[in-house]
Amino acid sequence: MRSRYAFWGVVLLFSCQKTVTLPLNTAASQWVIQGEVTNAPGPYTVTINQTVAFYADNTFPAVSGASVQISDNQGVTDVLTETSAGNYTTHTLQGKPGNTYTLSVKIGDSLFTAASTMPQPVALDSVTFDHSSAFRKNDITAQANYQDPAGIKNYYQFIMYINGVQFTKDIFAFDDRLSDGKYIVQDLRMDSTYLTVGDQLQVNMYCIDVNVYNYFNQLAQSGGTGAFNTTAAPANPTSNISNGAYGVFSAHTISSKTLTVY
Amino acid sequence: MQRIISITLLLFPLFAAAQTRHTVSGTVRDSASGETLIGASLLLLEQPRSAVLSNSFGFYSINVPVGHYKLVVSFAGYRTDTLAIDLARDVALNVQLNSSSGQLQEVVVSANRNDANVSKPLMGVQKLSVTEIRDIPVIFGEKDILKTIQLLPGVQSAGDGNSGFYVRGGGIDQNLILLDGATVYDPSHLLGFFSVFNSDAIKDVTLYKGAIPAEYGGRLSSVLDVKMNDGNSKDYSASGGIGLIDSRLTIEGPIQKDDGSFIVSARRTYADIFLKLSKDTNTNRSSLYFYDLNAKANYKLGDKDHLYLSGYFGQDHLGISNSFDLTYGNSTGTLRWNHILNSKLFSNTSLVYSKYSYNIGVTSGNNDIGIVSFIRDFDLKEDLEYYISSGNKLNFGFDVTDHTISPGNISASQSSNFNSLNIQNRHALESAIYVNHDIAISDKLNMNYGLRAEIFTVLGPGTFYTYDSSGNPVDSAKYGSGQTVINYFNLEPRFSTSYKLTDNSSLKASYARTTQNLHLLSNSTSSNPTDVWIPSSNNVKPEIGDQVSLGYYRNLKENNYELSAEVYYRFMQNQIDYKNGAQLIANTNVESQLVFGHGRAYGLELYARKKVGRLTGWISYTLSRTERQFAAINNDSWYPATQDRTHDLSVVGIYKLNKKWTLSSDFVYYTGNATTWPSGKYQVDGQIAFVYTQRNGYRMPPYNRLDFSATLQGRKTKKTDSYWIFSCYNVYGRENPYSISFEQDPSDPSKTQAVQYALFRWVPSISYNFKF
Repeated sequence: MRSRYAFWGVVLLFSCQKTVTLPLNTAASQWVIQGEVTNAPGPYTVTINQTVAFYADNTFPAVSGASVQISDNQGVTDVLTETSAGNYTTHTLQGKPGNTYTLSVKIGDSLFTAASTMPQPVALDSVTFDHSSAFRKNDITAQANYQDPAGIKNYYQFIMYINGVQFTKDIFAFDDRLSDGKYIVQDLRMDSTYLTVGDQLQVNMYCIDVNVYNYFNQLAQSGGTGAFNTTAAPANPTSNISNGAYGVFSAHTISSKTLTVY
Repeated sequence: MQRIISITLLLFPLFAAAQTRHTVSGTVRDSASGETLIGASLLLLEQPRSAVLSNSFGFYSINVPVGHYKLVVSFAGYRTDTLAIDLARDVALNVQLNSSSGQLQEVVVSANRNDANVSKPLMGVQKLSVTEIRDIPVIFGEKDILKTIQLLPGVQSAGDGNSGFYVRGGGIDQNLILLDGATVYDPSHLLGFFSVFNSDAIKDVTLYKGAIPAEYGGRLSSVLDVKMNDGNSKDYSASGGIGLIDSRLTIEGPIQKDDGSFIVSARRTYADIFLKLSKDTNTNRSSLYFYDLNAKANYKLGDKDHLYLSGYFGQDHLGISNSFDLTYGNSTGTLRWNHILNSKLFSNTSLVYSKYSYNIGVTSGNNDIGIVSFIRDFDLKEDLEYYISSGNKLNFGFDVTDHTISPGNISASQSSNFNSLNIQNRHALESAIYVNHDIAISDKLNMNYGLRAEIFTVLGPGTFYTYDSSGNPVDSAKYGSGQTVINYFNLEPRFSTSYKLTDNSSLKASYARTTQNLHLLSNSTSSNPTDVWIPSSNNVKPEIGDQVSLGYYRNLKENNYELSAEVYYRFMQNQIDYKNGAQLIANTNVESQLVFGHGRAYGLELYARKKVGRLTGWISYTLSRTERQFAAINNDSWYPATQDRTHDLSVVGIYKLNKKWTLSSDFVYYTGNATTWPSGKYQVDGQIAFVYTQRNGYRMPPYNRLDFSATLQGRKTKKTDSYWIFSCYNVYGRENPYSISFEQDPSDPSKTQAVQYALFRWVPSISYNFKF
């Protein structure tokens, strides 16, 4: 909960930090599969690459030559083509809310499958900005405004693009466990100051299913930055992809707003 | 009551010879202040088996055949007293001991009879003298019993910024912390930097790690029994101190000279005054402080009756700007009635209240929300001590506690993002009866054995769910008010024995079973004041611990040196851990987030202590292992618990340089926590994610720290005293890691790095302390 952040914010008043080099092992390389189907017009992309050692560069070897297909529960099957190394795209598949999509990936002799049901869309009404951060001066926080449908378990994910570049430092995934049916003004609080007045901001709101929410929620808990990362047991997030692959397959709706930061 | 006692008596053989026996009994007190002395050693020189320790109220009783005896009474820090008594009939003898502090103890005045560590069968017991801990350097220069017990063998610190401690590999919530008999649920202030115990108000601290006596129950690993001062019953006095971070004041005095007294102690921090000086409006509207109050009054109603009323109230306050507010704290109240039924039978009846609560208020924009949570106990206890005859003592009694837990009451305004939610309260009754027999079988062999029988009853009103393996509720049952949901019955045998090999060395062995029905849920490395307590239920079984230990004890040079070596093994059942991504806060179905398994802990504790002379202190070293096994974690294989510390070394030295200066220092070294670190990385949606292979497969760097402290004694008379304490915590400024996190390198996005956070480097402090 947010109280935990405020709490440890005070701890930071005292602490000192430094970079350390640790004797980290390297696990055997694993497949990482990420794919999505949305209610926007296609094509949709599935990327497949591999894990690397912690101290290696952040270039993840692409996996070519896999057979990838996505089918829906209405009999449509789309066999994806590899358009660039590790990236496989659909042809005719069109995402529709309420459908269940199944991903099937064959790499060598290993088969990986995943299923995700696209929820009904919820509209992002508007994006506003909050300037009253308790921690950093001149901090601007984007706020997503929307009405949570009552009586349904909804799960949301937010992706932001600042001046056309995807913001990847924080994960924003929320459920409506404590806010069912409310009109929500959701703070998209970043771990540092990234927004300045005049920036071009695009906010995409996804409605995701429960397995995808659990994945991103656990990913956010394990991978938290700074002294806030005090979870006693970071672990690999529970993926909806079978057979031990990392990554996630998400069928989600998109509602988007683009505006200038004020 | 008399009939029950006579029937119980028939079950135990009397060791008395046919000749008439009489009893000498009374109370042991400090002659200057009238404070009762707990654990004073009394012995009739002519009857070696008559050795007894004064009880929690200073009472003692020795029953021996008719005769002339010399009664030797001794207690650390006091001049030993020898009294001649003629035991032709029962004798009531109250003893007043004179303090021996202020003298350089280069010459031992008389034989230090304090060999309780060798002769008494109880093992795994550590007593702390409040006068001793005054000189031990502690962060912010304020003496703190919780920090000092972490310097003893088998007790491990939870780290900087954490008040919790681990005893023999157990969890933070497995320690029963009592203040005058009331349970203290969160013994820390200010995120763990201070403890709730104001040492000015504390008389006696005893830590049981091994053979926990049958009168205690409810937690698995240890019992920390803290007793408050009664207050000076002879004269008014005020004492206190002013420091950089906090100040404290104690006022005590007689209600009626020698018959009753009171004591009030208060303490407050003002670290946040520095926040108010800031120009930044967010900072100067923030606050961070705590205050606490200890109060006690006692009155002698007659020769046989004494009444005590004590209480504690403390609160921590953390506020950030005008947007966030967290208040939490404990409050306790105890009413006790001592009644001496006859010279051999002592009774104490206690009525106890204890409450821990926290209150969070968030008022920023649309996140306005208020959360209130508490745990509240009402407890009735009856403890009887029957001093049957010399070397033969029986303790028995009962203990009934009513627990009410309110896990969360959330209130939110109409425009808030959140719905109001009231997680239903839980109600339980914890009832126990116990009996304990302490007997000297021969001059060399002592035994202490007992049985505690506990019933934990979970009561309605409420709805109780059962869950499937994914955590979804599959069934629910509704119970009315007072209806029994489930009962857990447990028998807890306790046994310990000591065998004197020579006059100053002994061998001890013990076995104890303990159970625990209240569990603290916390899935972060540091304890939070907002962690959730839950009772056992239809889903959560009582934790059960079985411990065996064996030890060798040796005193050297007239008990001025104490040496001991103890080994232990403990097996713990029904231990609790959490699913990945567990939601523990404000969750009606929090029990669905738990996984269960068991644990084991074993180790060797070595301890050497010098008690007398210019240089005093101790060295304690623990070599140990504590592991867990859960079906849901690490493929059901044994893995080290987070608090597994292979090595734990503490060295404490106190040196009386001269009449004015006392120097002290301590050095601490321990193996780092077992922890989970990445073994690789990958990318999801542009975000770097880490590969974890094993829970607790790595180790934090070892912790080590050196502290110095110097005490400058000012003018000291019979009534007044003043002294300065100058101290430095972490003298060589080591950055002991508080946490290590993993992130993309901000200056080079093509790399990831590990960043270590440390809380304290050098922390100097000065305080002025007075008494008049």
